[in-house]
Amino acid sequence: MTGRSIHVAVSLLALAGLALACARIVAGHVEPVALGELAAGYMRLSPEELTVPNVVTGILLAYRSFDTLGEVAVLFMVAASLGPLLQPMDGAPAPRPVRPMPPASEIVESGHHLLMPFIATFGAYVILNGHLSAGGGFQGGAIVASGVGLFMIVRVGTPVDTRALSVGESMAGVLFVAIGALGLVLGGGFLDPRILPGGELGRFVSGGTIPIVSALLGIKVAAELSVVLQRFRS
Amino acid sequence: MIQILASLLILLGSFFVFSAGLGLLRMPDPLTRIQAGTKATTLGALLVLTGLSILHPERLLLYLLIVAFVFISNPISSHALARAAARRAARDDAASGDASDPA
Repeated sequence: MTGRSIHVAVSLLALAGLALACARIVAGHVEPVALGELAAGYMRLSPEELTVPNVVTGILLAYRSFDTLGEVAVLFMVAASLGPLLQPMDGAPAPRPVRPMPPASEIVESGHHLLMPFIATFGAYVILNGHLSAGGGFQGGAIVASGVGLFMIVRVGTPVDTRALSVGESMAGVLFVAIGALGLVLGGGFLDPRILPGGELGRFVSGGTIPIVSALLGIKVAAELSVVLQRFRS
Repeated sequence: MIQILASLLILLGSFFVFSAGLGLLRMPDPLTRIQAGTKATTLGALLVLTGLSILHPERLLLYLLIVAFVFISNPISSHALARAAARRAARDDAASGDASDPA
C-alpha cells in the first residue's frame, strides 16, 4: 500500500466518522416552532424597556454590554501586542532592505477619490443606526477602517499617526466606561441605557444612551483596526 | 413564472460567487486567482441583484447603486492586485538574473 492510498483511506475514514456524528445530530434535530423563553423575553423587553427595535443591539449594548466591553478590550490587546510581536527579535538576521514602494497608479488614485466619501458616509451611517437597523459600532468601525486601508494603499509614503489614533481610542474607551459607571449610579446597573429618556420607538434619537455608546464603540473599533493595519504596513 | 425566473437568476449568481471562492482556493498563481476572485464576483453580484430587483421592483434604485459600487470597486481592486503581482514577478525575475524590464 503506497503512502498516497493510505492518505486517501484515512481521509475517507475521517469523513465517514464525521458523517456518522453529523447524522446523529441531524436526525435528532427538531425544528423549534416558537422562540425559547430567554429569546422571547429579549424580543419583548428590548422594544419595551429600551425602545430599541433592533434586539441584537439591545442585547449587545444593554443586557450583555459587559461582554461587549470585554470584546473591545480583546481587540485593544491585539492592536497593542502587534507592535512588540512584529519587531525583529534580538540576534535575528537584519531584514532585507525594503525598496521604496512605487506610487499608486492613476486608476487606484481616482477610484480612491470616487469611493472614499461613500465608504466614510456608509461607515458613519452603520455606526449611528445600530439601534434602528442592522449594524452598530463594531460593523461600522470595520467599514471606516477599510476606508483607512484604502487610504494607506493610495498614499504609499504617508504614515498614519498611531499615537493620535491611540489617544482617540483611549478617550472613547474612557467615555464608554464612564457612561457604564453612570448607569451603575443612576440606573439599574453597569451600562444601563435608561439613564437618558428612551424616546419614541424607531426614531433616530431614542434608546437612551445606546446611540452614544454605539458611536464610541465605532470610534474605538475603527481606531484599533487602523492601528492594526498600520502595524502590518510599517 | 416571473418569480421562478428571478430565483433562477439568483441561483445562477450564487453559483458564480461560489465558483469565485473555489477559484481563489484552487487557481495556481496570483493572476488567475485575481481573475476568479473579481470577474466572477462582479457577474455573480449583478445576477443576484437583477433577480432581487425582479422580486422587489420598489428597491430598484438601491440595487442599482449597489451594482454601480461593485462595478467601480471590483475592477479597481483587481487592477491594484494585478499591478502588484506583475511588479513582484518582474522583481523576482530581475533578482534571478533574467533580463526583464521593470513594470
